[in-house]
Amino acid sequence: MEDDDQQKAADLVQELVLRLLSQNPQTPNPDPNSPAFLKTLRYAFRILSSRLTPSVAPDATAIAESLKRRLATQGKSSDALAFADLYTKFASKTGPGSVNNKWALVYLLKIVSDDRKSAINGLDSSVLLPNLGIGDAASSLGNGFLRGGEVKKKDWSNGVLLVSKDPENLRDIAFREYATLVKEENEVTEEVLVRDVLYACQGIDGKYVKFNSEIDGYAVLDYVKVPRATRIMVRKLSELGWLFRKVKTFISESMDRFPAEEVGTVGQAFCAALQGELSDYYKLLAVLEAQAMNPIPLVSESASSSNYLSLRRLSVWFAEPIVKMRLMAVLVDKCKVLRGGAMAGAIHLHAQHGDPLVHDFMMNLLRCVCSPLFEMVRSWVLEGELEDTFGEFFIVGQPVKVDLLWREGYKLHPAMIPSFISPSLAQRILRTGKSINFLRVCCDDHGWADAASEAAAASGTTTRRGGLGYGETDALEHLVTEAAKRIDKHLLDVLYKRYKFKEHCLAIKRYLLLGQGDFVQYLMDIVGPKLSEPANNISSFELAGFLEAAIRASNAQYDDRDMLDRLRVKMMPHGSGDRGWDVFSLEYEARVPLDTVFTESVLSNYLRVFNFLWKLKRVEHALIGIWKTMKPNCITSNSFVKLQTSVKLQLLSALRRCQVLWNEMNHFVTNFQYYIMFEVLEVSWSNFSKEMEAAKDLDDLLAAHEKYLNAIVGKSLLGEHSHTILKSLFVLFELILRFRSHADRLYEGIHELQIRTKESGRERSKTQESSSSWISDGRKAVTQRAGEFLQSMSQDMDNIAKEYTSSLDSFLSLLPLQQSVDLKFLFFRLDFTEFYSRKHSKG
Amino acid sequence: MEFWKQLCLEHGISKDGILEDFATQGGDRKDVFFYQADDQHYIPRALLIDLEPRVINGIQNGEYRNLYNHENIFLSDHGGGAGNNWASGYHQGKEVEEEIMDMIDREADGSDSLEGFVLCHSIAGGTGSGMGSYLLETLNDRYSKKLVQTYSVFPNQMETSDVVVQPYNSLLTLKRLTLNADCVVVLDNTALNRIAVERLHLTNPTFAQTNSLVSTVMSASTTTLRYPGYMNNDLVGLLASLIPTPRCHFLMTGYTPLTVERQANVIRKTTVLDVMRRLLQTKNIMVSSYARNKEASQAKYISILNIIQGEVDPTQVHESLQRIRERKLVNFIEWGPASIQVALSKKSPYVQTAHRVSGLMLASHTSIRHLFSKCLSQYEKLRKKQAFLDNYRKFPMFADNDLSEFDESRDIIESLVDEYKACESPDYIKWGMEDPEQLLTGEGNASGVVDPKLAF
Repeated sequence: MEDDDQQKAADLVQELVLRLLSQNPQTPNPDPNSPAFLKTLRYAFRILSSRLTPSVAPDATAIAESLKRRLATQGKSSDALAFADLYTKFASKTGPGSVNNKWALVYLLKIVSDDRKSAINGLDSSVLLPNLGIGDAASSLGNGFLRGGEVKKKDWSNGVLLVSKDPENLRDIAFREYATLVKEENEVTEEVLVRDVLYACQGIDGKYVKFNSEIDGYAVLDYVKVPRATRIMVRKLSELGWLFRKVKTFISESMDRFPAEEVGTVGQAFCAALQGELSDYYKLLAVLEAQAMNPIPLVSESASSSNYLSLRRLSVWFAEPIVKMRLMAVLVDKCKVLRGGAMAGAIHLHAQHGDPLVHDFMMNLLRCVCSPLFEMVRSWVLEGELEDTFGEFFIVGQPVKVDLLWREGYKLHPAMIPSFISPSLAQRILRTGKSINFLRVCCDDHGWADAASEAAAASGTTTRRGGLGYGETDALEHLVTEAAKRIDKHLLDVLYKRYKFKEHCLAIKRYLLLGQGDFVQYLMDIVGPKLSEPANNISSFELAGFLEAAIRASNAQYDDRDMLDRLRVKMMPHGSGDRGWDVFSLEYEARVPLDTVFTESVLSNYLRVFNFLWKLKRVEHALIGIWKTMKPNCITSNSFVKLQTSVKLQLLSALRRCQVLWNEMNHFVTNFQYYIMFEVLEVSWSNFSKEMEAAKDLDDLLAAHEKYLNAIVGKSLLGEHSHTILKSLFVLFELILRFRSHADRLYEGIHELQIRTKESGRERSKTQESSSSWISDGRKAVTQRAGEFLQSMSQDMDNIAKEYTSSLDSFLSLLPLQQSVDLKFLFFRLDFTEFYSRKHSKG
Repeated sequence: MEFWKQLCLEHGISKDGILEDFATQGGDRKDVFFYQADDQHYIPRALLIDLEPRVINGIQNGEYRNLYNHENIFLSDHGGGAGNNWASGYHQGKEVEEEIMDMIDREADGSDSLEGFVLCHSIAGGTGSGMGSYLLETLNDRYSKKLVQTYSVFPNQMETSDVVVQPYNSLLTLKRLTLNADCVVVLDNTALNRIAVERLHLTNPTFAQTNSLVSTVMSASTTTLRYPGYMNNDLVGLLASLIPTPRCHFLMTGYTPLTVERQANVIRKTTVLDVMRRLLQTKNIMVSSYARNKEASQAKYISILNIIQGEVDPTQVHESLQRIRERKLVNFIEWGPASIQVALSKKSPYVQTAHRVSGLMLASHTSIRHLFSKCLSQYEKLRKKQAFLDNYRKFPMFADNDLSEFDESRDIIESLVDEYKACESPDYIKWGMEDPEQLLTGEGNASGVVDPKLAF
């Protein structure tokens, strides 16, 4: 049978040569036995037995395609169509009798056609047509090409033609033996390996390539005999599988965890983005697989220019996916423990890459990942909604009491701030949303929505979702800036206009900082006597009544009732020895939303300042009280002509001393008051007013207010570093109050003396006989008593004066030592005439 | 009258006592000098008292006639005045005491927190001085706990007065001012005229114009009461610091920039320093200085209060004070600490002024003693001649040729002068420890400018 076949083949070759030669015009009827014919025949055999392999990849479709294209470009589009049709029929022929070496045939046709063309171009056809030997025959062969195609096809379909492999040829045999040898050594064919690698790349164990947990990767099974090179190659290629597995695991794990809160929307977005990337990857794999499964793909005009997939080819194909997959794997690694903003930030860190491929890829990824984040920012900034069920936003809300909402209600979560959002921007974002919430919760205001939509319009972003994406940080910033500007302005407007912030500050200044002088005056007048009683005897109810009376009596009555209602009497906790003075104070009730500014600590500071100023006022009041008793028309209107000269001198001296000491004390207190007014209250207030005007947001306002209050506290010597000087100031105050009671006694005594001298004088002049004990003692006794009284009073007065002088000295000496507070002005005022410095230099 | 007109303007109260629509939000205290009637219109807490009808009739026919409470206007039945006789005024005061005190009591009861009385009068004529003196004594007696402040117009000593007994009247009034008043703001007609002529370039200042100066001073000195602030909200507080020694309760005033009747003046730069410096210049002070140069250099300020009105940056005050001290523009007493007190006060938003800042100085200055010395010397000239004493002898106080009242007054004024002098020395504390009883006699003469009136 084999001989038969071989004979048949030889005959066929002879026939072919004959035909070809007969087409040559030079030898119209070749003699089958002529030497030329024999030579050509031999040549033909030689070619056939040689193992010349074409340098092209065995892809029939590609060759057919290129033929078709060539026809088309030559303008023979109908020919091209015909060819395509023929080729389709040819290719679809399977089963017995069909040509199984289809690509070789098509290739042959192509070569033949090429030869013909080169012949036309006038090249040496004998060189270009070595397989036929006869250059001149080329053109005729070419002419009949199209016809021949069909003819030949018919021949093949008859099962006659067997073009290549001559089994008789030794080389052929050798090759086959080599092939079997290779096959034996490989044990598995490359195709199988390719398929396995493709499986591996989808995270599936193949037949030979399986996941090896020891080396943590896919590898060809150990017992499968493959060359080392192949093994390494497979190992390398299947890295993709390993990476894929990693990414895939992450995704599926995340997805599984989803209902639980750990993943978060950013995580979900990240997974989704990865999934998207993976599906691209699946597509690629599917294509590759299809090509691997169908070595000769059928209908695929758009197929890539590949032949059988070899491992090497795969490595080319995998070059790009592996980069992406690696990136993904890295990100997955990085992000495993991260969530939300932190995750976005981590991903962002990898986006700064010079490789445009990586860059684009990362951009895509980030756009997806950041979109929930940006959505949060948007809704936070424009609606104040904290849509963050999974705690991944860089702003964290806490349930707090309303008054703490601004200060503590929302915080930045530093770890969650993506690095592409600068800290200052984050701050602004925080504040804007906070402002909205503050408006909504504390101010019960709805006007912010207008401001927000205005902001959105101004920044060109719609208020709808998804308006922003990664890479538009500028747009985000713009949006935030616009929103912040408007919301903050609105907030301040609401605070200023609706909640009368400034008016309340002013009210506090007027009542707690004693700015409303007439009110304070009345209050001091009416509660003064009461406060001298022990604290236990005083009911705050009664004091509240006094407060109300003071308000009604003073210009305070014209104030907003709302503000007056907030003014309350506060009794501080008191011990047994305390007097009313020690426990009385006023407080101002701050309501939502102003309690954000006037927090408890702020109010307690105000309270301290009030107590200090109240004390100062009390001292001033005491001094004025003394003055009232010694006021001009009380003392001078009663002459003491009837007194003995010595007593009169004593009296005069006591009075003078009292006056001079009073003057000194009054000087001190008034100037201290002036200091408080000019240096402390007014200056701080005017600074505060300026800053209030300039404030752009609530934080500014809070800071300004804090500065204002701190300035007052510090300058009123209530600061931390002023304890010593404050103590010595209080010593002075005590002395002044002591002086007051002495002075009162003195004047009481003098008054009594006046009456008695008058009485005794009158009595004497009317009735010479004396009856009552006073009168019986007579003038002498009165004089003596008066003398003693004045003596002791003078002494007391001297003591107080001495004590006062030394205390004042120590106070004055402390003044320049104060570093925390600038008290130059106070010293300057106290020593305006250089009375003290002269005295000091003298002493 | 000018004073009330000024107050009405500053508080935005119309001529009929109705609050103008624009004046509802001033932050001012209208209730210091006004009270509201049942129909809400504002009534000045004022009594208008005179022994002759001319001036008061003028008011009753003037544009402000509806402002005052007509029950508060007192005119003597005979309308004959006091004939520029202190004794006559004093005597008539005694006779109508009940009627006037009823008015005062009624007004006092109508005040929520009565702090004191303000008496505006002249010390030279008959009514203001004589009746004023009597009222001072009565008030001091009945309301001994309340303050009595006077704005006392001292006669013009430069021109020969038509009231020849001016020195007598002045002396006798001065005694009451020394003993029965808590604070006397001295308004020296001499100085007022000089200011009107020199500073305002008026060749023949009218009473209305000088009165307008007075009302400016009065309203400015009460701004801290009417516009409440951190300090100086009551009269006592204001005066206490100014008058550390009870006897030396005579205050000088200075005002800048000066204008009369909204007459356009040259607008000068007005900074706090400018204002404060100008206030210290004698030409702006409304008391003439009769001191000779040597004595003038010895004169010292016992106290100064500058009331600055207008928009002032508080920090400027400190700078100004520093400059004034550097240049040694003020001489203060040496026996105790002293300083220039500065009160900032709001300016009425309803009165437009060309200058940004204006200032009033209230000061206790020892040089005022020269004014009293002058009064004394004039009195003595007259007394030596025993001139015009007959008119006084007609009245009970001086009946039977008992002129001890003159002598006593003279004595008191003299000791007042001495006390002021003593204040100039650093040893004031030890002064007067020798026998203070000294008696001297003298004579005087008087004339009046400001309508006698009383206010709460």
